[in-house]
Amino acid sequence: MHTPPESESPEFGTSGSASAESASRPAGASAPAGRERVSTPGGGGGRGPRLFRTAAGRKSCTAGEPAGRRPPLVLVIPACAAAVLALLPLGYLAVRALERGPGYAWEIVADERTLQLLGRSLGLTAAVVAACLVLGVSLAWLTVRTALPGARAWSVLATLPLAVPSYVAAFAWLSAEPGLAGFGGAALALTLVSFPYVQLPVAAALRGIDPAQEEAARSLGYGPLRTFLRVTLPQLRPAAAGGALLVALYVLSDFGAVSLMRYDTFTRAIHTSYRASFDRTPAAALSVVLVVMTVALVAAEARTRGRAGHTRTGTGTARPAVPLPLGRWRPLALLWCGAVAAVAVAFPLGTLGYWLAAGTSATWDLGGLADTAWATLGVAAAGAALTTALALPVGVIAARHRGRGARLLEQASYAGHALPGITVALSLVFFAVRYAYPLYQQLPLLVGAYAVLFLPVAVAATRAAVLQAPPALEDVARSLGRRPWQVLREVTVPLAAPGVAAGAALTFVVCMKELPATLLLRPTGMDTLATRLWTETGAGSFAAAAPYAAALILLAAVPSYLLGRHRT
Amino acid sequence: MNELHELHVEGLTKSYGAGEPVLRGLGLTVPAGALAAVLGPSGCGKTTLLRIVAGFLRADAGTVRVGDRVLTGPGTHLPPERRSVGIVPQEGALFPHLSVARNVAFGLTGVDRAERRRRTEDMLDLVGLAGYGDRMPHELSGGQQQRVALARALAPRPRLVLLDEPFNALDSALRAGVRADVRAALRATGATAVLVTHDQQEALSTADVVAVVRDGRVVQCATPQDLYRHPADPWVAGFVGDAVLLPAAVHADGTARTALGSVPLAAPSDGPRTGTVLLRPEQLRLTGPGTTGAVRGTVTDVRFYGHDAMVTVSVDGHGDPVGIRVAGPLSVRPGEETGIRVVGEGSLHP
Amino acid sequence: MRRPSARRITAFVAAGLLLPALAACGSDDDSGGSGDGGDSALVIYSGRNEKLVKPLLDKLEKAVGAKVEVRYGDSAELAAQILEEGDRTKAGLFFSQDAGALGALSKEGMLQKLPQATLDEVDTAYRGGEGDWIGLSGRVRVIAYNPDKVTEDKVPDSVHDVVKPEWKDKVGIAPTNASFQAFVTGMRVLEGDDATREWLKALKDNGAKTYAHNLATLDAVEAGEVSLGLVNHYYWYERVAEKGEEKVGSRLHFLPGKDPGALINVAGAGILKDSGQSATAQKAVDFLLSKEAQTYFADKTKEYPLAAGVTSTVEDLPPLDSLEAPDIDLGKLESVQETQAMLQDVGLV
Repeated sequence: MHTPPESESPEFGTSGSASAESASRPAGASAPAGRERVSTPGGGGGRGPRLFRTAAGRKSCTAGEPAGRRPPLVLVIPACAAAVLALLPLGYLAVRALERGPGYAWEIVADERTLQLLGRSLGLTAAVVAACLVLGVSLAWLTVRTALPGARAWSVLATLPLAVPSYVAAFAWLSAEPGLAGFGGAALALTLVSFPYVQLPVAAALRGIDPAQEEAARSLGYGPLRTFLRVTLPQLRPAAAGGALLVALYVLSDFGAVSLMRYDTFTRAIHTSYRASFDRTPAAALSVVLVVMTVALVAAEARTRGRAGHTRTGTGTARPAVPLPLGRWRPLALLWCGAVAAVAVAFPLGTLGYWLAAGTSATWDLGGLADTAWATLGVAAAGAALTTALALPVGVIAARHRGRGARLLEQASYAGHALPGITVALSLVFFAVRYAYPLYQQLPLLVGAYAVLFLPVAVAATRAAVLQAPPALEDVARSLGRRPWQVLREVTVPLAAPGVAAGAALTFVVCMKELPATLLLRPTGMDTLATRLWTETGAGSFAAAAPYAAALILLAAVPSYLLGRHRT
Repeated sequence: MNELHELHVEGLTKSYGAGEPVLRGLGLTVPAGALAAVLGPSGCGKTTLLRIVAGFLRADAGTVRVGDRVLTGPGTHLPPERRSVGIVPQEGALFPHLSVARNVAFGLTGVDRAERRRRTEDMLDLVGLAGYGDRMPHELSGGQQQRVALARALAPRPRLVLLDEPFNALDSALRAGVRADVRAALRATGATAVLVTHDQQEALSTADVVAVVRDGRVVQCATPQDLYRHPADPWVAGFVGDAVLLPAAVHADGTARTALGSVPLAAPSDGPRTGTVLLRPEQLRLTGPGTTGAVRGTVTDVRFYGHDAMVTVSVDGHGDPVGIRVAGPLSVRPGEETGIRVVGEGSLHP
Repeated sequence: MRRPSARRITAFVAAGLLLPALAACGSDDDSGGSGDGGDSALVIYSGRNEKLVKPLLDKLEKAVGAKVEVRYGDSAELAAQILEEGDRTKAGLFFSQDAGALGALSKEGMLQKLPQATLDEVDTAYRGGEGDWIGLSGRVRVIAYNPDKVTEDKVPDSVHDVVKPEWKDKVGIAPTNASFQAFVTGMRVLEGDDATREWLKALKDNGAKTYAHNLATLDAVEAGEVSLGLVNHYYWYERVAEKGEEKVGSRLHFLPGKDPGALINVAGAGILKDSGQSATAQKAVDFLLSKEAQTYFADKTKEYPLAAGVTSTVEDLPPLDSLEAPDIDLGKLESVQETQAMLQDVGLV
């Protein structure tokens, strides 16, 4: 009745810079009269108080939460089910690794060569993560914050490499330049397919940072670069760390690229152990080491998170940021984006095109291709649906509760992620044959394997999405008579839906590309584009393989494209 | 009109982990149908109190009763959804995915459609937003959002409404209007309400009763006038408004001898012979420098607020300068000599 | 502004996930129905590539008169899978690309002893020592050479000669290829680890060029990048069949004198003891040893038929009994891991 709608009305989320006055008010006696307070500035205002809650309020939001609010059973039970599923491979590894006594397993783990492999795996991981951070952060910043011509198109292009399987990228590079084999080639191929894991969350976080902060830094004499380094970058850390974790685990678990590039890593040693000596004990022992590495990485990521506090990222800003003019850097920025798009998107597609065109032995079986594509979509969709459903309770608990139990639940979901697909597949063979024989070599088991492998991808997305929804909304819903599960259904999930959907799309893409577990667990006679690609290249007919690779990339590009357009 | 319920809080204790207790046996009674303000500085425990009453936090000990229903007590902890306690959070916290009408109707479960619609319209009407039902929250101003949040909280006829610094996010021009509207809406429904705030002006101007909280306890609970006039101690005095605190010796005639001369005391003291006398800036008057009965001083600062001004004067024989609230036209400038006269009674604190 | 588009994307993703998932569940029911074909059905785990053997296995289905389901995969991974399945394995027959995977199952006692009549079909060199698996087709290691660079009489007769200075930077190998590793493993069995290590070192020091697989090695020979390439014989014959000999810029040299470089490895099959499909599986093995199947290997995969009385129809292919392969128990070629470690130490992989 009094005021017209304000365009800058709060969109629940980020902290504004306003009303510092109200917080800095002395707590002691002789408080200033209320009238002396400067009025809250309008722009970016409204959100201020969340950051500046009273000390008691802050406590109740963080350390105090778990004491008073245990996660409701409606979340705990399915989350525990998800964690148990994710931990299944560990049970299997324990059985296999200790089969011949702990001494034998220890001998393998303590072997000098194991240490070497550890070094090589970690070295490759570090190189790929570093390169992905550079690519992901630079592209996210250029496309979100600067006046880059065609920023929108570039940001979509930057997500498309997600559609390229690592083995296709490695193969394309190797066929162009056999000399790339080794560390450099493996790092190159893996970087070019996984940097969107960093670019996507960082871009979302950049959109969420109040531009007023950057303006303040500029007014204090910081140039654009220093502003970015000193003000923006530190706030991107949680998002970048989350993406880097996924990249790191992806690199640790990758077999396709390292085997083609002939770079010996843990994963390759595990495969070799199965292939060369048919001995499952060393494979299991090495896999356990891989799990330990995963735990260390997840814990490291959690520490960056802890230091940054409950930083919310990716919410709408009070005002859209004014794009930074690039000036004379414009050609260089364009060149950079163009170069990345060329090597990460155009190059693999071009190579496929070359095979398609050059193929003399290519026999186009369009009907078979369509059937396979449809089956691939189906199984990947089922995988993404199950993974997302399992990730939902884990993600909500991870976002809303901070106890040790909540942390363990989230970390358990990562257990299978760094394991090579074959290990996860064999562990599911082990359990299914013993305890769920009717499911064995049926679709549900394969879908379950996807969930074990890719749970963290969906958990990370869900957690980020739920963090964006203010907890106060859930309190309000409770006070209005809703039970915890009703709050979840009516408030939390609808609010987090776009982010959860983005996670589902990402999971869908990775399920489509999955090969080793699919080979072992698929129903007999079922083919996906990835297994077909494997068959064709195994027979040496790259021209015949090209249509499947192309179909895989094009289909995976659709959700990747949506991810690139998705704005949280 | 709702049935009226009293809020009774007793012996509430809460600490987080191994840290210092945030609440130390807090007790508070809000009469049925009253609007109480819980006022305190940052970290005093007022938000913790609110979250315990709402059921979001468990108390370590103590009871919370609304009417004859025990919400929190030994062995009892009703979940938030069964308390019938509405909350209006900071910034309103409207559900951004629901329209204004659906936000307001959110708590109206188990009611038939027509009734729900009617109640929603009534509530929007009550807060002055009739016809806004189809808007989405982001299409409203901050003040409008806050009023929708109140309508949403009141719609299910809660026994108690909690308001958590609800006007913080509004700019000052809006604040007074929204505050008045909220007060009127609460009055109209007759709901018992607790407003948590750190803003003394807001507490004094909005509430029927103000409870001042410090270090996890209620140090004083009184009507706004009583609180302002007769604060329990100098800290409360300073917290609820500007105060002039003067060391004093009490004479046999019942007046206190201070740096500003003799000050009559509100309650004759037969206890201590020395203490601190509290005066409010509006009890001091500026006079000509040589006026009899006035104390001499030098003006050090003048701050003009429009409706009045605060003049700071340093007085010989008193360390801290004193503040004097002056209504009407100003005649002094910094550096000038002036006289000060005390009007009315002061209160003595040991 | 933001909400509606986000909502649309959510709906789109949800629909995109649900529709194919439902379709997948539907089609799963179809395949699930055919999964339990009763006793007469035969499940084959095939480590041999679908592209190579599917037509043959289609014929096999007719020949055994039962429904046949084939699960394709990597030989070693399928062996690992069978080991995990244990006595509840679904596989009736394991059709392996190499002897090593069969040897691993044999070692765990998972394979059924084959009738003597069946075993007698092939030479003792090409079957399991326990009589529980049998070789079906053979491939021989050869040296491919570029006739423009080197005349046949100059091509070395032993792998020990390719490390001589005259071949510096002129030899191509595919060190990650399983057949290459099997050959090195054979060399270790024949000549010992030290001698093999020395040879590998010399090979490396002599500037041998490494390729991803045999075909790439053959390409390099034809392009003149290298003069010699250590490959399997059938790649060349496949290429000749596809393009005609005159268009193929390489020739093969078969090594005489039981040189380790002339190793013959086999693809074979074994019957799983516990699958309850033994009778049908035995019929399948009989079919695979039949003239029809053996001729298929010769014609289509250009391998050596191993069954008695069947000779390859491939032109210019030296007869199997004319080859002077080293004497070696193929089941013993299981220490590939040490071979790989050795390749790694030397720096070839």
